[in-house]
Amino acid sequence: MTQAVQPAPAPAPPEPGHAQAGRRSVGKRFFGRPEVGSLMGAVAVFVMFFVIAEPFRHAASLSTVLYASSTIGIVTVGVALLMIGGEFDLSAGVAVTTSALTAAMFAFEFTTNVWVGIVVALALSLGIGMFNGYVLIRTRLPSFLVMLSTFLMLQGLNLAVTKLVSGGVATDSIADMDGFDSARAVFASALTIGAVSVKVTVFWWLAFVAIATWVLLRTKVGNWIFAVGGQADSARAVGVPVKRTKIGLFMTVGFTAWFAGMHKLFAFNTVQSGEGVGQELIFIAAAVIGGCLLTGGYGSAVGAAIGAFIFGMTGQGIVYAGWNPDWFMFFIGATLLAATLLNLWVRNRAARR
Amino acid sequence: MTNADDRVPVVELEGIGKHYGNIRALHDVSLAVHEARVTCILGDNGAGKSTLIKIVSGLHGYDDGTYRVDGEPVRFASPRDALDRGIATVYQDLAVVPLMPVWRNFFLGSERTTGHWPLRRLDVRGMRATADAELRKMGIHLPDIDQPIGTLSGGQRQCVAIARAIYFGARVLILDEPTAALGVKQSGVVLKYVAAAREAGLGVIFITHNPHHAFLVGDHFAVLKHGEVELDAARDALTLDELTLHMAGGAELETLKHELERVDSPGLGALPQPSGTA
Amino acid sequence: MKKRNRVSSLAALAAAALLAIAGCSGSGGKEAQEGSGGIGAGTADTPRLRVAMITHAAPGDTFWDLVRKGAEAAAAKDNVELLYSADPEAGQQANLVQNAIDQKVDGIALTLAKPDAMTGVVRKAEAAGIPVVGFNSGLDDWKGMGLLQYFGQDEAIAGKQFAERLNELGAKRAICVNMEQGHVALEARCGGLRDNFDGKSETLYVNGQDMPAVQSTIQAKLQQDPDIEYVVTLGAPFALAAVQSVADAGSSAKVATFDTNKDLVKAIKDGDVQFAVDQQPYLQGYLAVDSIWLYRHNGNFSGGGEQPVLTGPAFITKDNIDSIAEFAENGTR
Repeated sequence: MTQAVQPAPAPAPPEPGHAQAGRRSVGKRFFGRPEVGSLMGAVAVFVMFFVIAEPFRHAASLSTVLYASSTIGIVTVGVALLMIGGEFDLSAGVAVTTSALTAAMFAFEFTTNVWVGIVVALALSLGIGMFNGYVLIRTRLPSFLVMLSTFLMLQGLNLAVTKLVSGGVATDSIADMDGFDSARAVFASALTIGAVSVKVTVFWWLAFVAIATWVLLRTKVGNWIFAVGGQADSARAVGVPVKRTKIGLFMTVGFTAWFAGMHKLFAFNTVQSGEGVGQELIFIAAAVIGGCLLTGGYGSAVGAAIGAFIFGMTGQGIVYAGWNPDWFMFFIGATLLAATLLNLWVRNRAARR
Repeated sequence: MTNADDRVPVVELEGIGKHYGNIRALHDVSLAVHEARVTCILGDNGAGKSTLIKIVSGLHGYDDGTYRVDGEPVRFASPRDALDRGIATVYQDLAVVPLMPVWRNFFLGSERTTGHWPLRRLDVRGMRATADAELRKMGIHLPDIDQPIGTLSGGQRQCVAIARAIYFGARVLILDEPTAALGVKQSGVVLKYVAAAREAGLGVIFITHNPHHAFLVGDHFAVLKHGEVELDAARDALTLDELTLHMAGGAELETLKHELERVDSPGLGALPQPSGTA
Repeated sequence: MKKRNRVSSLAALAAAALLAIAGCSGSGGKEAQEGSGGIGAGTADTPRLRVAMITHAAPGDTFWDLVRKGAEAAAAKDNVELLYSADPEAGQQANLVQNAIDQKVDGIALTLAKPDAMTGVVRKAEAAGIPVVGFNSGLDDWKGMGLLQYFGQDEAIAGKQFAERLNELGAKRAICVNMEQGHVALEARCGGLRDNFDGKSETLYVNGQDMPAVQSTIQAKLQQDPDIEYVVTLGAPFALAAVQSVADAGSSAKVATFDTNKDLVKAIKDGDVQFAVDQQPYLQGYLAVDSIWLYRHNGNFSGGGEQPVLTGPAFITKDNIDSIAEFAENGTR
């Protein structure tokens, strides 16, 4: 049979000078990375403040900037991974407060070692992440709606439960309780490097970024995260566990929110129940500036870290520069816009090469 | 022609039916797919082609009838189950993740790792080399195996997906409209790989609504209409014209011709009469 | 299977570790706090009244929590059913007032953070014969709007007195940390401070939703300007963050603040915070409700409809802290 069928394709002759599948040139690969645009933006912002603000040049100032960046950056790691996986979490800001409130109130009300409260808060944070992921997957509603609901519910719960349990709207100080000192050493201490004191959150932040980068680029799970964000149906069709990956990502956000919450609690001893509203947008913005696509499937943890660094630098740099404080919000917005435009420009240039 | 039809088919459907609520998507569909044979499934939009492949590939279950693999009845819970039995599907629009590099797409869902937990990691070097070698075998030469697969042409993407399925030990390859969105030249490339897959001993299910493409590579043809098999014939019992006519609607087309003749449209010759239907 | 074993053994390990440290805390906690009661008194035998208190409080603010506690204490004493509601957005707050009018309450206690937005509903309440009492915000407007009386503190005066205190202490350089840019009362405090301070005072805006950001922004400012002698915060939690900023920046600046809470009292005792200016939120809430009870049952009203009743500013320093500490511990100061 099969008269009309063409013979099986003969391998095409190898093109001259192209025997091995090459990699693009180093330069092209560098400019093709998602974080390059934000890196340029960060360098530009850094140079700007370095030139105009004398106090910005001191090592101690860099430490302050890094600290401000790290408290944003830790949650941004989780938020960025989730965004690469194609979903949003609007509840991350208040989830930080939820976690801190839980740890503080549990330890205080039951007069336990604070570590017990910490573990309970971790369980709750992971549980909230799992709930978010599960509801999203079961209902197949848009993430925006589900997350907005969770955001509002958590905001309400933070207030209502705190009021119910402690009778006030802030938790009682747990500074004099057992385990506080060891917990503080883990979550909110400072290390002295040379003459400069650096907050421990900076190191945790860098560690989380390193782990997230490794997971993204060098593990199966990382491959799956890109795939479920880029084209969930294709991923499912080749056997990627889409649901488990997404739920895992929401739980990762829960973990980072927990960590940030613990830092807040042990740095300030008490937590205000109304805090954290609006922070979720900062996390998302940092991830986007860092090159994560809002539509998913593309981005990097390093980029998200650079995005958080731009936020930290801008917020503190304006103070170091001594600009008129009435314009503070405007300057933050303008710097971010400039960084984002530069990012876009670099990416377009890279695409055209 | 070999005696392939006498052996146990790799995939066999018998009287398969599927309902969505009270809408009947498929009714009494029977089909046999043999090794080293290309079975073409043709049909108009909404004829039930996609429902059929979703059942075969394990995305959907079925309500009536029997689905056998190697003569053994199966019910797949997920595409993973089907893959484990060697049934791989290359979808028309969701074959790949566009933003991911070629080699990551190639190994997606079946990644190779090296090292021990907690340092177990992707075998990046090995996977890149393998993906490159496999694509070369299929005659695809890429300047950069790291480029996002979305930058490849539609035909190349289909080919990567086909190469991937073959590499991972597929025995049955389901191709969902692989040529639908392609130009003439690109379609030719894809059809060559369909033939190549058959030569490699795979059973191929080729879904298309283009009888010309089907006739170039097919060994066996089934035409679906309103969720039922309208025609089921081997290649030697059929001509391209007959297939085209069935595909185009057969009797309905004849009526249309008469109507058009009444308004004196010029240049309409006689349509060939259908014959040899099963 | 192997993986599952690992997971379960990890879980077992974690559980064991938890049990090991689960032992109760030897210090602090609820057990240490027990035994301290709130303010309690007998109840009036007058007929039950329904009073609505409607504020512009942002959710979760400790200051407003004290206002509410004061109001609740008065309500319990006066046999009043208190309907408390709040919304920082002026239009929403006006809706809440309308809601209270619809419920035909016996009196309304209202903050006038944005007086113009309240004019309409206040007029409606008057038409419905419901007495309206102003408190906390609206010192310049309550009279014109025809409110019965007003309890509060003049923010500009508080800022002025704060400045005079700093002048006495010989300070030359201060920053005023504002956690909510554009908030009328907060801007008035910083303004009053700036206008009456002999030295130089600058406003620093911080993101009040994010404590670590507050801390690092103050720290950055201290690093930028080493001459700063006083960090003035506009809320108690921010004073405590400022104390850390000062320590981390290695600065010799001192911290003083508007408003108090429990932890702040301790900080004043320990000398971390120099002093606090208190407008006595508990008193504001208490008086607002109690005054409606008095008006309903005896026709009394304060200030003759002309003069406000000032609840502050009261200075809390190391010298008088002991008399307040006990109440702060109960969460009523």
